[in-house]
Amino acid sequence: MSRRPPRGEYIETDTGNKVARKATLVGTQNIMLGGKTVIQPEVMIRGDLARSVPSSSSTASSSGAAGGAPPNNTAVAIGRYCFLSRGCCLRPPGRLYKGAFTYMPLRMGDHVYIGPGTVVQAASIGSHVHIGQRVVVGEFAIIKDYVRILDETVVPPNMVIPSFSIVAGQPARVVGEVPEGGHEAFELRELYKTVGNNPQPAPS
Amino acid sequence: MSKRHSIVPPISQAGPKPPVQFSSSITIADSAVLTGSNPIVIHSESVVHPRARLESLGGRITIGRRCVVHERSTVGAVGTEGRVTENGVTLGDYVTVEVAASIEAGDTVIGDGTTVGVGAKVGRGAVVGKHCTLTPHTVVAAGEVIPDFTVIYSNGMRRMDKRGVVELKNKGQARQIEVLRRMIPSNPSKFQ
Repeated sequence: MSRRPPRGEYIETDTGNKVARKATLVGTQNIMLGGKTVIQPEVMIRGDLARSVPSSSSTASSSGAAGGAPPNNTAVAIGRYCFLSRGCCLRPPGRLYKGAFTYMPLRMGDHVYIGPGTVVQAASIGSHVHIGQRVVVGEFAIIKDYVRILDETVVPPNMVIPSFSIVAGQPARVVGEVPEGGHEAFELRELYKTVGNNPQPAPS
Repeated sequence: MSKRHSIVPPISQAGPKPPVQFSSSITIADSAVLTGSNPIVIHSESVVHPRARLESLGGRITIGRRCVVHERSTVGAVGTEGRVTENGVTLGDYVTVEVAASIEAGDTVIGDGTTVGVGAKVGRGAVVGKHCTLTPHTVVAAGEVIPDFTVIYSNGMRRMDKRGVVELKNKGQARQIEVLRRMIPSNPSKFQ
């Protein structure tokens, strides 16, 4: 027992996800990680708030599934190379739908950075999105690709943020555009390498 | 012995276990945190999400009917002064306390149907009226009195809510609670 190497701060899965032991994941069976995703300590993901009303699209496709596969209950779907900073919180949005209350899945693309202390209740987040610290993303907001949300922004519920926007303020407004050739700044592959049980220093 | 250990860390149950008085119809998550020495009273059909903190060190906490206290919020936070009053925090009926909101103790009252937004702070002794909306990151100063139907924005702007949707909102809250009762495994006996 004593010869066992000390347990690292992170659990590293076969698909390259790095999940901190001190993260709170509720309802893990409803959380999908695409791989190479970093979940830092004190992050909270509410996977238990799954959809309670079957969607029309999933009932249509279930006839094609072999032997009546279980319904897709994914509450939070996260793409590849996402980075969830310390203390952020992801929860699926909920609303009344056809007279019944239901939670809807929260979908995130690839290369999404979420800053510390941020609360996200969006319906969908595209790829290459950077969300700063202490941001609040309201319920059913839709964030398209290549969007930068500055610190302390409050994105109101149901807002749709178009691609290549820079968003700030309380409530959030589009304050600028991502400059031409500014796409590389959204890459999170290098950031991914700097955390984990044997982190590598960031390239200068 | 499995190599991968539970990723959910143990909850720091700091301080004494408070005396509680629960209605039989409430939903309280196993990982909610209740601390303090004064009584905590939760009325019927209210929901306490995982990791919500109810601290009764600064006085009794009363939560009305059909309230929803979201994760990471703190009800009854002992402020800088650490004064102990008889009624620490009183939440009316149909109150929603959203993620990471914080309500300080000290005769603080939140009226019926009020929503305390994400990350908002309500200072000690503040009296928030009925059916108010505090938007995310709003700060209500200690001792402030806010009239009914006020909407407060985080930049300090205020307006009155004249939509008249109280009934609808209450109905929506009831539906939400119905769903949450099925989703959140309730374990009130842990706190009793």
